[in-house]
Amino acid sequence: MSRDAILGRVREALSVKTDPHVREVVKKSSHSLPVLANGPDGRTQAVKEFLPFVGDSLEDHVAAFKVLSEKLQTEFIVVPTVDSARQALAQLRQAHQWERIGIHDNELVQSCVDQLQVEFLNTSSDYDSHALEKCDVGISGCDALIAQTASALVTNHSAGGRALSVLPPHHVVVADASQMVTTMADGFALIREKHHDNWPSFISFITGPSRTADIERVLVLGAHGPKKLTIIMISA
Amino acid sequence: MSQSTNPTTQFQTDANRVTADDDRRSFLRSSLRGYQTTRTATQERFLNYESARIAAGDAKWEAIENLDIYLAQFADKLEARGATVHWCSDSNEARSAILNIIKEHDAKSVIKSKCMTTEEIHLNDLLEKEGFEVVESDLGEFIVQLREEAPYHFVFPAMHLKKEEINSLFQEKLKSINTNDPEELTMVAREVLREKYLSADIGISGANFGVAETGMISITENEGNARLTTSLPKVHIALMGIEKIIPKLEDLALMLPMLATAGTGQHLTCYNSQLGGPRQDDESDGPLEMHVVLLDNHRTRLLADPEQRDALRCIRCGACLNVCPIFKNVGGHTYGTTYQGPIGSVITPHLRGLKDWKHLSHSSSLCGACSETCPVKIDLHHHLLRNRRDAAGKGQGMLAEKILMFGFTIVMRRPWLYRLAGRLGKVGHVLTKPIHGTRIDPFYAWKKTRDLDDPAKQSFKQYWKSRK
Repeated sequence: MSRDAILGRVREALSVKTDPHVREVVKKSSHSLPVLANGPDGRTQAVKEFLPFVGDSLEDHVAAFKVLSEKLQTEFIVVPTVDSARQALAQLRQAHQWERIGIHDNELVQSCVDQLQVEFLNTSSDYDSHALEKCDVGISGCDALIAQTASALVTNHSAGGRALSVLPPHHVVVADASQMVTTMADGFALIREKHHDNWPSFISFITGPSRTADIERVLVLGAHGPKKLTIIMISA
Repeated sequence: MSQSTNPTTQFQTDANRVTADDDRRSFLRSSLRGYQTTRTATQERFLNYESARIAAGDAKWEAIENLDIYLAQFADKLEARGATVHWCSDSNEARSAILNIIKEHDAKSVIKSKCMTTEEIHLNDLLEKEGFEVVESDLGEFIVQLREEAPYHFVFPAMHLKKEEINSLFQEKLKSINTNDPEELTMVAREVLREKYLSADIGISGANFGVAETGMISITENEGNARLTTSLPKVHIALMGIEKIIPKLEDLALMLPMLATAGTGQHLTCYNSQLGGPRQDDESDGPLEMHVVLLDNHRTRLLADPEQRDALRCIRCGACLNVCPIFKNVGGHTYGTTYQGPIGSVITPHLRGLKDWKHLSHSSSLCGACSETCPVKIDLHHHLLRNRRDAAGKGQGMLAEKILMFGFTIVMRRPWLYRLAGRLGKVGHVLTKPIHGTRIDPFYAWKKTRDLDDPAKQSFKQYWKSRK
């Protein structure tokens, strides 16, 4: 069988140990550098200690998220209450003339859109992707906001499937301030805790609206995914 | 780049042509300068980038040195989630595995997101020959597909093209409006491809990482095309090389920012998605089937090399191309390989044979810029030297080189002959001056692109004596 054949070749290849000289290049020129323990725990620690620093408090995290969001052209709106989130959405609806909205079964999302006078498409159960494509916006929840990268971490459970957050031209994430974490590793840990071994089949870090720079390095938003990304965070 | 020409000849011909094109070269350089600026800014935000590189390099060492264990774990976990794993020893096996899946579903159209491994196995050629419609959805790939040419750079496939060229291409092939505006051109492609996502029967993607612990593939992208490709069609096929494995899910928290920073200078690309299995019972969308095609295609041959298995740690960020003086001058197509630049020159001789591809290891200034920029610290420029050594050891050196080195040994072993050669050389240089740079100059091939300075009045030996 091919599996055995390939794994056999791998084992045979690895029976010769790596040349120590080559192996040490990774560490070379690094005598004065902090090096963490090898292994996954060391790597998770590396994300905190070597990657960009974003502070420890929620205020620091929100500030860092804001700075990166501006750079990414993510619209980051911080509101005090669910009620003000509702108002923010009403204003967005007005500004962008939304008529059809894709949503899913998420408490926060549902309570924020309950007063919008529009047509809804719920993607929490079987739905028609052509109908979703015709929606002006997809509004979803998330599992976490990542301060270090200004990302929204979603799974098909927290964001109404795989397509709601990528097919319509505008994606709105509604989140609570308690969902803010420091690093992507913290985000993975949250999902691990929530789902144990029953992983969702889809996890994604969404970091800004869809973009490309394939033509002469000119940044264009909305290559295939959403042209706009709005993250509404309720701080109270 | 026809298959019939010898790769060495093709490299030389194309290199000569491209290096003579000053306009294209300066276009390439200015684009790579832009990359350098953004990357430097992003890298400076790190608390300690060097240490992060070491940790990232360690993650890939751990994966590669225990590849048998992690590969088996990866496949078992994926299968437990309802995905089918296909183990393919070479490109033929991978091509027929993919073709069979497509035929089983009676599929007509295939949408693809960026995957260099499919270029490696020439998948599009086969599928088109079999009568399927295959559409590349990454904008850069879409453009080079319309031009019927290979990607120029494995991260920036269309970086060699100017907006005017893309404009006329779109007008000709897509009957689009006349515009040189990159935004309008992008929107043309968006409209064309939207419909394709919704109607395609099969979505084919690559994988940037395979997480052993959880049995997931991770895909890094900016455009959202990979997300659409893996969400809408009923069947998702992912093709990945066996070296893409990393041990744990949390490792991605380090690898993904490193890949983005080195690859495009972004702190993180727009979408980083992990996919583990087809749509599950409690999920509302996603493909009904997920197939992961694992490809060896001589990667185990590279793994068997205790020095150069190092190169299997590559995460395909493309940074070594971006800083390489050779790439900047000869351009991507000249390599004639799926993987261009220093990493391509290192691995292609292993994947496709040293005899035909050893010339790539000579097209290097050995400046070490590639090793210095690599986010996982692959010893790239020394591997180029090792390839040269191996080629010479196997007697695959060029005849002229052998004769030259034979003569060199004779002279270097005899001080009197060395002194004589030095003096004759000086005289010879002066006497042959009138023919320098002309075709009758015996060193024409070397001198046509180089100036040879007049020799110093005093040799080092004379200087050393006079100094005392």
